Amino acid sequence: MKALIVTCGVPFIRGGAEILAEGLRDAICAAGHQAEIVTLPFQSCPPSRIPEQMLACRLLDVTETCSVRIDRVIGLKFPAYLVPHPHKVIWLLHQHRTAYELWDHPAAGDLIHYPDGPVIREAIRRADRAFIPEASAIYTLSRNVSERLQRYCGISAEPLYNPPANAPLFHKGPSGDYFFFPSRINPVKRQWLAIQALALCREPVHVRFAGEADNEAQQAECGKAVRELRLGDRVEWLGVVSEEEKRDLYANCLGVVFPPVDEDYGYVTLEAMLSSKPVITCLDSGGPLEFVMDNHTGLIAGAAPQSLAGAMDALWADRRRAATMGEAGRERYLDLKIGWENVVDKLLC
Amino acid sequence: MLKINWFSPLPPAHSGIAHNYAMQILPVLAKRHETILWTDQDYVAPEVESIARVAHYEPANPPWRALNDADISIYHLGNHGGIHGGIWQASRQHPGIVVLHDLCLHDFFAMVFLRTLEQPAAYLAALERWYGEEGRRAGEAFRIGGIGAETMAQQFPLTREAARGALGIVTHSHRMLEELDETPACPVAALDHPFAPAGDLRYQGWMAARRATPGPPYRLVVFGYLSRNRRLDAILEALAGVPEREQFRLEICGQLWDESHIRNEIERLRLGPLVNLHGFLPEDQVEAQLSTAHLALNLRFPSMGEASGSQLQFFDYGLPTLVTRTGWYASLSEDTTAFVRPEHEAEDIRAHLRDFLTDPGAFGAMGERGRQSLRRHDPEKYVDAIVRFASAALDFSPRIPALDLAGRIGNDFTQWLPPDAGAYLLERASQEIVTMCARKARDRDS
Repeated sequence: MKALIVTCGVPFIRGGAEILAEGLRDAICAAGHQAEIVTLPFQSCPPSRIPEQMLACRLLDVTETCSVRIDRVIGLKFPAYLVPHPHKVIWLLHQHRTAYELWDHPAAGDLIHYPDGPVIREAIRRADRAFIPEASAIYTLSRNVSERLQRYCGISAEPLYNPPANAPLFHKGPSGDYFFFPSRINPVKRQWLAIQALALCREPVHVRFAGEADNEAQQAECGKAVRELRLGDRVEWLGVVSEEEKRDLYANCLGVVFPPVDEDYGYVTLEAMLSSKPVITCLDSGGPLEFVMDNHTGLIAGAAPQSLAGAMDALWADRRRAATMGEAGRERYLDLKIGWENVVDKLLC
Repeated sequence: MLKINWFSPLPPAHSGIAHNYAMQILPVLAKRHETILWTDQDYVAPEVESIARVAHYEPANPPWRALNDADISIYHLGNHGGIHGGIWQASRQHPGIVVLHDLCLHDFFAMVFLRTLEQPAAYLAALERWYGEEGRRAGEAFRIGGIGAETMAQQFPLTREAARGALGIVTHSHRMLEELDETPACPVAALDHPFAPAGDLRYQGWMAARRATPGPPYRLVVFGYLSRNRRLDAILEALAGVPEREQFRLEICGQLWDESHIRNEIERLRLGPLVNLHGFLPEDQVEAQLSTAHLALNLRFPSMGEASGSQLQFFDYGLPTLVTRTGWYASLSEDTTAFVRPEHEAEDIRAHLRDFLTDPGAFGAMGERGRQSLRRHDPEKYVDAIVRFASAALDFSPRIPALDLAGRIGNDFTQWLPPDAGAYLLERASQEIVTMCARKARDRDS
């Protein structure tokens, strides 16, 4: 079978979606099929360009290429999943979130700041409601994404969990004196929340942040907060780390702090579980809540500095409990049987 | 309950929309829906702030984030460039419901594009957009004084320019958009202009005041923002031609478009002792004038098409009125108003004034019937209707980016297709659309 994975991306930016697309392509090939990725450039600013890009996707003909039939199209991201094909399935990573649940989010909302934001939002919603059901099957990345799709568009979809890249290489090491917080640095991942929590911790908690800032201003803001709260000796900014370094940081941490706003899925949670580490997340963090069992594989705090500080203190003060939770997390991961085989079977069925 | 951004002139702005329209609607609207009153006025009367929250905006840089928190924006446009310019600037960027208080908006756009914004190219582009090369040429002639404002208003009303990008249009005049051939590409509702009549007790007080000043001399009143089309010249000319003119006094209440011209005319026609110029009057003095007047002259030519808030106010006072048989006024009932034909203006005014002298009681009865006709202008019904329309018009919103997109595609195609391909493509596209719509309708029915 020849499968085309259609997705969107921002040139020169690489993130979880790109890694997922590559993982899917490799898994399809490993199952004996042929697969390629078509990445369409996407630009969400100014919003008036969005309908053009939606239309561009609708006008793309990927039924065949040089007389060779494309048997299956797998749509991943907006607006690429609007591409028509008689045998299209959608594995929805997420919709255009600022047209939905992040519309009026104080940090993430973007469309809401434009005069034509509401009409563009409505155009996106209409297109989603009209064209997503065209697919012969609709899956999502997580239960969280499925719930949003149901809530906003009235479309049901089954979640299909996939493993993080290089899942077998994650390992357990000795619990060190730090929490690990790997993520792109931006307001939605809420590094600022962890910093504010750190200032309220009673224990001498230490956090290592890894990841690149979406822009310099966001990095500067975090740095400023650390200085103002006099947390310089309890925070480390590691920046971009290699995959191997990342796995070691997971392996040797006490636990993982991951408090994003309504995350779609959250590989960080799964990577922590594979490394036998407990995860501290928040009640409004979305995807991680599908995996973290409160007081069993991690702690679920309220989305406020005081509550998050309490959770961090609790694990810092009780390392044995942290280790037990980490072990339980790995067992839960294994119980869930998260693997590419299931994903490929469903998408190519 | 909806959250509504409301853009209109607000008291103390010298605008009938502020005093006669907004102040009738807003108490009802704000009780039923969360209403934010956006204004670029320096000052808003305290009684407005007691109705709903007032928020300020800069027309050049409105706070989109705050505006987008509401479900819908409702913009009120009329012909006064100074009062409505900021509202239009917001409306053209942020789609909402546009309520047209005038339908011929050339004067407004000429003022905004040519004077306020100093964008003559935008003015000519607007004319070309809706009327082609002919519109552009007329605009160029207008700019150098070759064509008058009245002619431009009638031939190139630019109503669709005000509706450009709107989610829906509300007018207070049935059929006028079709008559003007200015039907916009969005849903349109024609609603009866709202008006809450004064209570019976107050009305009886006005009638008592009128009986206490029986005349002669009989008091004629002209009232409102007195632009050129209010026919003051014709009224003065007609009055001067009535042999019994000494039995009338003409009270001119409102801001004049050219006061020195009117003063000269009064002097030329030797009407000085019979005419009083009052300028813009505060509410209490308006009441004193209207409750003691015997006949109102509410002429418009050319008509800007829309319903007249001042006419409804005359009805409220039980005042018989002379109106021009044009635009919205032509739809009024024969037994509530006396008509003046535009082409026989002076002759008709004179005839009505002489009829009045013959039988003032008949005119008094006409005023009574006018007041009865206000029942269908209930503000509560109006608020329900405009909110219902606004909610339905939201459905139109995705078509706005689609229309923009179609425009950009069309523009791109014209760059690389032969010039004569345009007509062919348009025909093909029209056929395709008709076929698709028919198919969709068939599918829906089956």
